Amino acid sequence: MTKSSYFKPATIALHTGYTPESDHGARAVPIYQTTSYAFDSVEGASSLFNVEQGGHIYSRISNPTVAVLEQRLAALEGGTGAICTASGMSALFATFITLCSAGDHIVSSEQIYGSTATTLRYTLKRFGITTDFVDINDPKALKAAIKPNTKLVFCESISNPGMQVSNLPEISKIANEAGVPVVVDATFATPALNRPIEHGANIVVHSITKWIGGHGAAIGGCIVDGGNFNWGNGKFPEMTEPYAPFHGMKFWEEFGPTAFVMKIRSEAMRDLGAALSPHNAFLILQGVETLNLRMQKHVSNTATLRDWLAQQDGVTWVRHPEDDAKPFVAEMFPDGAGSMLCFGVAGGREGGAAFIKTVSLASHLANVGDSRTLVLHPGSTTHSRLTKTDMEAAGINEDLIRVSVGLEDIKDIQADFAKGLKAAIRAAG
Amino acid sequence: MELTINNAPVYVATGGKDFNPKLPTVLFLHGSGGDHRTWALQTRWFAYHGYSVLAPDLPGHSLSGGEAFTSIEQSGPWLSDFMEAVGVKSAHVVGHSQGFLSALELARTAPEKLMSITAIGTAAAIPVNQALIDTAKANSDKAAQMMCNWGFGPDAHLGNSSVPGMQPIAISRAIMSRNPLAADLQACADYKGGADVVASLSVPAHCILASADKMTPVKAGMALAESLGVTPTIIKGYGHMLPLEAPKQTLTALRAFIEMVQTKRAAA
Repeated sequence: MTKSSYFKPATIALHTGYTPESDHGARAVPIYQTTSYAFDSVEGASSLFNVEQGGHIYSRISNPTVAVLEQRLAALEGGTGAICTASGMSALFATFITLCSAGDHIVSSEQIYGSTATTLRYTLKRFGITTDFVDINDPKALKAAIKPNTKLVFCESISNPGMQVSNLPEISKIANEAGVPVVVDATFATPALNRPIEHGANIVVHSITKWIGGHGAAIGGCIVDGGNFNWGNGKFPEMTEPYAPFHGMKFWEEFGPTAFVMKIRSEAMRDLGAALSPHNAFLILQGVETLNLRMQKHVSNTATLRDWLAQQDGVTWVRHPEDDAKPFVAEMFPDGAGSMLCFGVAGGREGGAAFIKTVSLASHLANVGDSRTLVLHPGSTTHSRLTKTDMEAAGINEDLIRVSVGLEDIKDIQADFAKGLKAAIRAAG
Repeated sequence: MELTINNAPVYVATGGKDFNPKLPTVLFLHGSGGDHRTWALQTRWFAYHGYSVLAPDLPGHSLSGGEAFTSIEQSGPWLSDFMEAVGVKSAHVVGHSQGFLSALELARTAPEKLMSITAIGTAAAIPVNQALIDTAKANSDKAAQMMCNWGFGPDAHLGNSSVPGMQPIAISRAIMSRNPLAADLQACADYKGGADVVASLSVPAHCILASADKMTPVKAGMALAESLGVTPTIIKGYGHMLPLEAPKQTLTALRAFIEMVQTKRAAA
């Protein structure tokens, strides 16, 4: 049961937001490859601009194919509405600038994706928005970091690359009691494994490039409004005061549980122009339709590979979010905590490089959440210029191999990794 | 717009335009657990086409203060006071579900304050299952979920929305779960006087009904239409939450009726 329907998630993933009667009986969601939409009359045009009725005007703001994806993702997450964007980063940026103005403050988990950290640490700072980074699972540190001008608490439900599970019920309780919404990047989890709104979070952001799209074919992002935050608490005048560029609208009064996404539609989508293309929306919809099935297989392959790696020569350690025995991890992820894992190989930096050079089925690239198994060795790529000490300060060991476990037959993944481990052992001498 | 009635703040949506009591006024009354957002896709059309709009959050609901009514009968005097407070002598009164029962009580209290009455997704009486009331008393979120599962028709459950990217059922559930649903449902269950008021109505009336309404089945709505002597508009394939799940069709039927009444009044 979700909040949007009596249908269950697997059914929602296939049907929500589109019925074939609406478009010549086309069973698949049609691609509306159009910039704009002819008005049926002068009065009809006026009514769209006056928000007297819903509808599409220009594909930078909304598009019928994209809207199906939005409605489907909102339903899967248990939200009141969603907006899709050109990428996960644009979804985050739209969220940050919708909630924050110059002089405002963000509290972020210190364990987050590097590009997001850069946005918070450098880009937003140039516009007068500052961020303090904390151990998000330390309640005292979180409470202490929230200031009167704090506009959001940010974390990832499973952090990238640290794979720490954020204790969403505790974080949400602390933030909401302080009148601050919790924004969660749930990319590594997907709604098939964890729905942050059910754990008290208020806004969910995804890079739908990853497991939701699932095939490494299209870049996209999504923002889901939980509809569960009181924007009228006095801290968010941008939600409660008249917004001059849009009919003087007061979003909280007008839209209530969808105030946040409607503000994004009205402002950030206009200003940033980071619209998801209808073709990419179509490609990602193909992934959504099989999300539940794929995530089950991702998780089972990951569990098998994790156990297998732990028994192999040449593996010095294995890390997965479920290593954390705290009760909230199992409570938040009853069906498995995703398909990312890290492990160390014999031979340090050289061993890692040898592993990467030797595997052939696994793809060496800077992405995660593909249907195929992906590997990355930060020591020889993203962090190759850092010293061992600097890498360890960043929480990344020289021997670390990051794996996004794919959907191949697990025996084939194991065989491929066995070759890589032999090479690492040889490199270790 | 905000005002104070009986020492409690009242929030009133006016369709995106400042309220002007000199224009013909349409008063929208939400149903159980609802608020002014029920009418988001009807009020703005009227406000931008020569009417003034009043869509209050009834006491105890969403942005209004005070306590929810414990009986439908309490709503008549309150609505009469409300209209006086905003300077409106009479209005086209539109009620969804419980909101129509409130409209009937306004008609009983101050019949001169109605130019017309429109019943949307409703009947002269709204019996409520005791299990739903008991659930609402114990757990309003669960009751809201039950209401939304029954209240919305198949199209909404398939996630279709007239506003891109939105989920009407989740929106309604979010609103209902925070509002005094138990008091509203109990008031509906206890209300027995609707048929008498319907029989006494002398203003133009209309019924807009939903063929897939499980909360106030179309049969009950048809009986109301027969009592009123009107041919109802029946919107096929949709459920009880007509203003939200079929906003365009609801607006079209409502516009046609109110414009017809206005035309007749101008001619008279």
